[in-house]
Amino acid sequence: MKRRSFLQLSGMSLASSMLAGCRKGNEKLIPFLVPPEDGAIPGIANYYASTCRQCPAGCGVLVRVHEGRAQKVEGNPHHPVNQGKLCARGQAMLQELYHPDRIKQPLKRTGIRGSGQFIPISWDEALKQLAGALAPYQQKEQEGLLLFSAPLRGSLARLTGDFLQHFPKAQHLAWEPLSPEWLQQGLFGNPGIPDYDLGNTQYLLSFGADFLESHLSPVRYGHGFGHMRQERQTVRGRYSYIGPRLSLTAASADRWLPARPGTEWALAFGIIRRLLQEKSFDASALQAAGLSVTNVTELVANFNVQRVAEIADISPTEIRATINEAVSISPALALVGEMTAWQSNGSAAVAAVELLNLMLGNINRPGGLYFTPATDAHISSNYAELTGLIERMQQKKVQLALIYGCNPVFSIPSDSNFSAALANIPQIISFASFLDETSLQADLILPDHSNLESWGDIVPPAGTRQQVIGLIQPVVKPLHNTRAFPDVLLALAKGMGGNLAMQLPHESYLQWLEEDLIKRIPDLFIGDRRQQMDHLLQQGGWFGPELEPISPKALKRPERVVSPEFSGAQEQYPLQLQVYASVNFYDGRSSHLPWLQQLPDPMTTVVWGNWLEINPQTARKLGVNQGDLVEVSSPAGKLTLPAVLYPGLRPEVVACPIGQGHQGLGRYADRRGENPLKLIKETEASKQRLTWGGTRVQVRRLAASSGLVTAGHAEGSYHRDLLGL
Amino acid sequence: MNIETSEFHWGMVIDLDRCTGCGACVTACQAENNIPISEQDGIANGRNLHWIRIERYWEGEFPHVRARFLPMLCQHCDDAPCEPVCPVYASYHNPEGLNGQVYNRCVGTRYCANNCPYAVRVFNFFNPKWPKPLEQQLSPDVTVRSRGVMEKCSFCIQRIRRGKEQASLENRKLLDGEVMPACAQTCPPQAIIFGDLNDPDSRVSKLARSPRRFRLFEDLGTEPSVIYLKGGGHDHPG
Repeated sequence: MKRRSFLQLSGMSLASSMLAGCRKGNEKLIPFLVPPEDGAIPGIANYYASTCRQCPAGCGVLVRVHEGRAQKVEGNPHHPVNQGKLCARGQAMLQELYHPDRIKQPLKRTGIRGSGQFIPISWDEALKQLAGALAPYQQKEQEGLLLFSAPLRGSLARLTGDFLQHFPKAQHLAWEPLSPEWLQQGLFGNPGIPDYDLGNTQYLLSFGADFLESHLSPVRYGHGFGHMRQERQTVRGRYSYIGPRLSLTAASADRWLPARPGTEWALAFGIIRRLLQEKSFDASALQAAGLSVTNVTELVANFNVQRVAEIADISPTEIRATINEAVSISPALALVGEMTAWQSNGSAAVAAVELLNLMLGNINRPGGLYFTPATDAHISSNYAELTGLIERMQQKKVQLALIYGCNPVFSIPSDSNFSAALANIPQIISFASFLDETSLQADLILPDHSNLESWGDIVPPAGTRQQVIGLIQPVVKPLHNTRAFPDVLLALAKGMGGNLAMQLPHESYLQWLEEDLIKRIPDLFIGDRRQQMDHLLQQGGWFGPELEPISPKALKRPERVVSPEFSGAQEQYPLQLQVYASVNFYDGRSSHLPWLQQLPDPMTTVVWGNWLEINPQTARKLGVNQGDLVEVSSPAGKLTLPAVLYPGLRPEVVACPIGQGHQGLGRYADRRGENPLKLIKETEASKQRLTWGGTRVQVRRLAASSGLVTAGHAEGSYHRDLLGL
Repeated sequence: MNIETSEFHWGMVIDLDRCTGCGACVTACQAENNIPISEQDGIANGRNLHWIRIERYWEGEFPHVRARFLPMLCQHCDDAPCEPVCPVYASYHNPEGLNGQVYNRCVGTRYCANNCPYAVRVFNFFNPKWPKPLEQQLSPDVTVRSRGVMEKCSFCIQRIRRGKEQASLENRKLLDGEVMPACAQTCPPQAIIFGDLNDPDSRVSKLARSPRRFRLFEDLGTEPSVIYLKGGGHDHPG
């Protein structure tokens, strides 16, 4: 090649390459030839409305989904329960969906029960086995079928009810530890739970109700609390808490009255007595409820300030000040919670606080509490039914147990021998998403979808004045080979044929749900059904008109409250154990989520574990320091736990959160901490109602190191004065 | 340095009378900003990763005991002590008053964390790990930080950007309350309020003028953009 042509050629190629470089790129985004089914567009996020199931409160959520992956859960601003807000447990819902240890397909047990040895099987085979196991119970006389679930509401309750109708002798037990059955068995026996109007009250008095962490509807009450404190121009709501432990909720109070466990009710009687003396009580409400002034006067006659102070062991000055506030500030609202209800005298104590609300004139007024009629189907069992079931299980009267949406081996005190009774059941079939204590005992596991993959509805049990049906919709495609529990029921019905298949011909739970919604909200489905349903799904559910409040009738006369009983001799077990629902893990159902394990407990800053709280004075006497390993023993059992010195606790009380101590439930929860329910001693009284606050314990120091890890310094990072707090 | 070329000056008000210390903000922040999971031994050795934390202070002895909470996050100081010490300008001041952190520039000297009086900067000692499929939750809007990089609260800058883009698409100004960081969005008692301090009518500006206002370590002259409102009972009514 000549030099000239070489230069010509190289010049041309250079120019052409540069020209190509100068040309503009694709000026148009070329749309998909076949758009993806789920409408995912790269770089654009979609929001789907759904409902949270981390606790029964039923907060509405919006899930941010990006190219088919759920990224962030946010509160639904238009939902009447939580008004756009969400707690840490709700935020962590995503990790349940993407948890590495979810059960990915149906499993069949091969090893001994509890060994965790399972082999994967197909859905066809699993359904065939389940149908085979269920078939004999369709006969009239065949006993021994049990469905154990969490309390069910709304459309799932109806579907389960319809399904079980075809098994004449089947028993359905729907129980969970924090279910407010004690509130429904109170003075009014109301089936619905009242809505407490925290936001508009001027004086709030909490009788052991930890409404900012676990009581009924924590996000709703948290929102109301902010409103009560600072949303109104001229009023800052005042708030006192009475109870033996300074909980997270109590920490926000202006005054903490550290009453002896099970004596909070005395303050309620003290206030009622003053109301009667000053004749400033709501006589008409008392009359409407069917109660007589004379009876109440007789009941509270002796409860002067001195007597209340003695019973509760609080200084009379504080009692007097609290009574003065409660009587002079209006509206003054009283809440009653688990710390009071879980005592042996809890039933009468709850009634005492309800009577106080009645006398304060709080029924159905702003800043008070609203009673609304129960609006929906509801399957829920109480503790007496649970203990009855355990007896039946011990007598080998249960042959086949279906367990859905709960973990009873973990959440029932070991002293009631539930695990031993469970071993008596020849066949256990679980619908769990994780290998927890209960599903490890199962012979067959048909894993349920995660909440973010399911259809469903939630009727919030507490906390709205209007009728609310929150809808759950799948926001992502199912990750694993799982199936929703209601879909399994429908598939079973189809497979088993006969009447069952005739009555439940639905193709999917979605179809059932839509038909059920039409029955419940008929006027909504005039016109295009599809469009209406889409609209409901978009807004996160159906939020009906405000319900007409009802005036409650007292079912029983308020009674004298006796002193609480504690099991265990005082000489041997000098301390009283109080267990409480963990802020991070609720009743223990969320402890497999690493975000929550890592989230420092607000009061102790402990991470990845649990602990025993001891008052520093008591700890000094026992020779225990922060972080020491201690042995806690009760008449029911022994545990070793790290000690945390907790100034907000009565000296004769020790406390431990429920939630840790799992044997199973995935890598993040397994064998972490201890379950304090192993210490609860059951008594005759506790066969009737849940009395988890009534056990005495003994504490002994074992060693100086316990592996306790706290995220912050025990005293906080800085000196408080430096911050100007 | 208070040289601003933007119309915005982002700021936050935290009302301690509303804050209940529940920790919802901490988890919301972790979800929004791809903050790795800190294992127990990591936290025990001081390698806890968080952009917001709740400080808890005990006060007094039984029975006259109280607990107080203080959410602590990057204060986005106008005279930030972390900025001048960075040898590579990874810690810089954004025209909108944000204290930014450029991960690509960061070489991990940790001088900034050393100089921060609020101890809100955290360091990635290791590469983060998410056992599959947990990584599917990660947000594409936020960089996943690698080993050797300092990180801290960004006031959810990705949300600010998204909000501004949306507003400019619709040819309007950004509305007050339209942009909310994850912590403010989730806070049940609405203790955290976020907004533009340059707009005297914004909610955050109005609250920042409250007689209960104070800033942390005011005497250090760091000029924080986070304003706290005193709370806590009888001592500080309304």
